[in-house]
Amino acid sequence: MEFTTQDKGRYTEVSASGRLNMVAAPKLREVINEVVSGGGKRIVVNLADTSFMDSSGLGALIGCLKLARQSGGDLRIAAVQPQVNMVLELTSMHRVLTPHATPEEAFLND
Amino acid sequence: MTDILARRTLEKPAGEQAIEDLHGILDQLWLDAAFVPALDQMAFTTAVIEAASNVVQHGVPEAGCDLLLGVDLTVATGRLRAVISEIGAAPLDPVPDLDGPPPASDPDALLEDYDESGRGLSMIRALVTTVTVERQGDTNVWVLSRDSGAGN
Repeated sequence: MEFTTQDKGRYTEVSASGRLNMVAAPKLREVINEVVSGGGKRIVVNLADTSFMDSSGLGALIGCLKLARQSGGDLRIAAVQPQVNMVLELTSMHRVLTPHATPEEAFLND
Repeated sequence: MTDILARRTLEKPAGEQAIEDLHGILDQLWLDAAFVPALDQMAFTTAVIEAASNVVQHGVPEAGCDLLLGVDLTVATGRLRAVISEIGAAPLDPVPDLDGPPPASDPDALLEDYDESGRGLSMIRALVTTVTVERQGDTNVWVLSRDSGAGN
């Protein structure tokens, strides 16, 4: 899985391309940790190119959300694909990580 | 005897590479069995990867053994089946609770209580029609089966 980070001004966008499984999950934690350490408060994880997520990947996203909130910020997700959406709904985690249609919309009303 | 319409197998040391390879053979399986509805492919793939990841993350080898992950995936008329073997593993103690607790109703509690392993097992249970785990010789065997419109 490849991660790219972009400063979008109002937020930092982290794009995740590939499969967010037990192999990629620790890398996501590292990437988000760097963003938070660098002062990033508003983080959007763009999942448009994430074709698969399992409970390890979801666990990493949840851990990253907690980290962002502990530092006074927030983490949101956008552009989820059908398999990722299925996992979010099966686990009820769509209620804490509500998918936004696009990264631009994730912090639109804040 | 049920006719097997597509089949893929894998046997590898139980490590991260085995999971990446398993994604690859699942992709190949669906190329051979493109008639399986997309929702069934998605649900079955997720359950298989969850079960195999559980083996890699939590499997304990018997003394003097190397832990291997064995996977046998078959598509038959009306049914998808995965036999996932933890070869050279110590017996499961306790046997995993495949039902697990239901998710909390309060979003804050959901966030605090998230348990990766327990949630993964609950997902497997929700994504397949039947799941069993049993001991055969030096191997713990998970059998996942999902009813599907495949091949009908």
